[in-house]
Amino acid sequence: MANREHDHPHDTEAHGGSEIPGYYDMLETAITELLIEKGLIEAQEIRRQIEVLDSRTPALGGKVVARAWVDAEFRARLLANGRAACEEFGVTFYDETLLIVLENTATVHNLIVCTLCSCYPRPVLGLPPDWYKASPYRARAVSEPRKVLAEFGTIIPDDVEIRVSDSTAAVRFLVLPRRPSGTEHYTEEQLAALVTRDAMIGVIPVSTPTMRASQ
Amino acid sequence: MNESERLIKRLPNDIGGLPGPTIIQTDQPLEPWEKRCHALADVLDFRKILNTEEKRCGVEALGSEIISHLSYYERWIVAFSNILLRKQILTPTEIALKMAAVEARWTAGA
Repeated sequence: MANREHDHPHDTEAHGGSEIPGYYDMLETAITELLIEKGLIEAQEIRRQIEVLDSRTPALGGKVVARAWVDAEFRARLLANGRAACEEFGVTFYDETLLIVLENTATVHNLIVCTLCSCYPRPVLGLPPDWYKASPYRARAVSEPRKVLAEFGTIIPDDVEIRVSDSTAAVRFLVLPRRPSGTEHYTEEQLAALVTRDAMIGVIPVSTPTMRASQ
Repeated sequence: MNESERLIKRLPNDIGGLPGPTIIQTDQPLEPWEKRCHALADVLDFRKILNTEEKRCGVEALGSEIISHLSYYERWIVAFSNILLRKQILTPTEIALKMAAVEARWTAGA
């Protein structure tokens, strides 16, 4: 399948430029304006939702993971009901989706994907990276996860099971990565700063600056 | 398996498990209109006008030819347009007239 996800031209500015916007840009404006004129949506809602989109970053997920590392009771609640536990942090969910948190252990490594489209734990991670939405990752993650992980520089020993979880519109996943060794003296805030988006997708482990320097 | 069988046995979104090239780890920020398009999708979901699964099906219903030529958010906005037409929330004439008005605004301001 041909794929233009990464090579389509971005040759228009929506605002401020003198260039006329592209066809799809104008289609978006036309549809939104028509829906506002019909009273079905409000301009304020779109503006507010853009702010919400901008406010969701992987730092939210990082805080959740760090809390789970330092607080066993919270970890248990998080694994039992990911959505309810994240809501304790003030994370807002936008529809009826479930959030299932998958814990990496010494014997199991989790990886998340959405083979059909781009379902992703947006409330805790924000928007997915382009490669998560593009066909190579979606196609291959379920059939050759070890090769996919190797492309991210992650080598999982053969005796560690890899579990790939395929998201849907109603069920989203978040990986709870393993706490790196040598972080026993870290504060919760310092731990949160180590946790990256890619670690919560499951394509890389969480590492410390010391570990990265020795690679 | 010939080309038409392939189209029947796998709908455009159903690519899990197929072979594929190396993953290109790009990550571009959204264009302003793409972010507006995403916000529109969320608002349509809140308002119970169009949910996530309808959006996914709407993209798939574009067919592999159109999907292969459109970027991610281009697929979304075309799918929204088709779904809103099918639900009789918007009409083709309304969209055409509004598109012309939007373009005229830009032409006048350019």
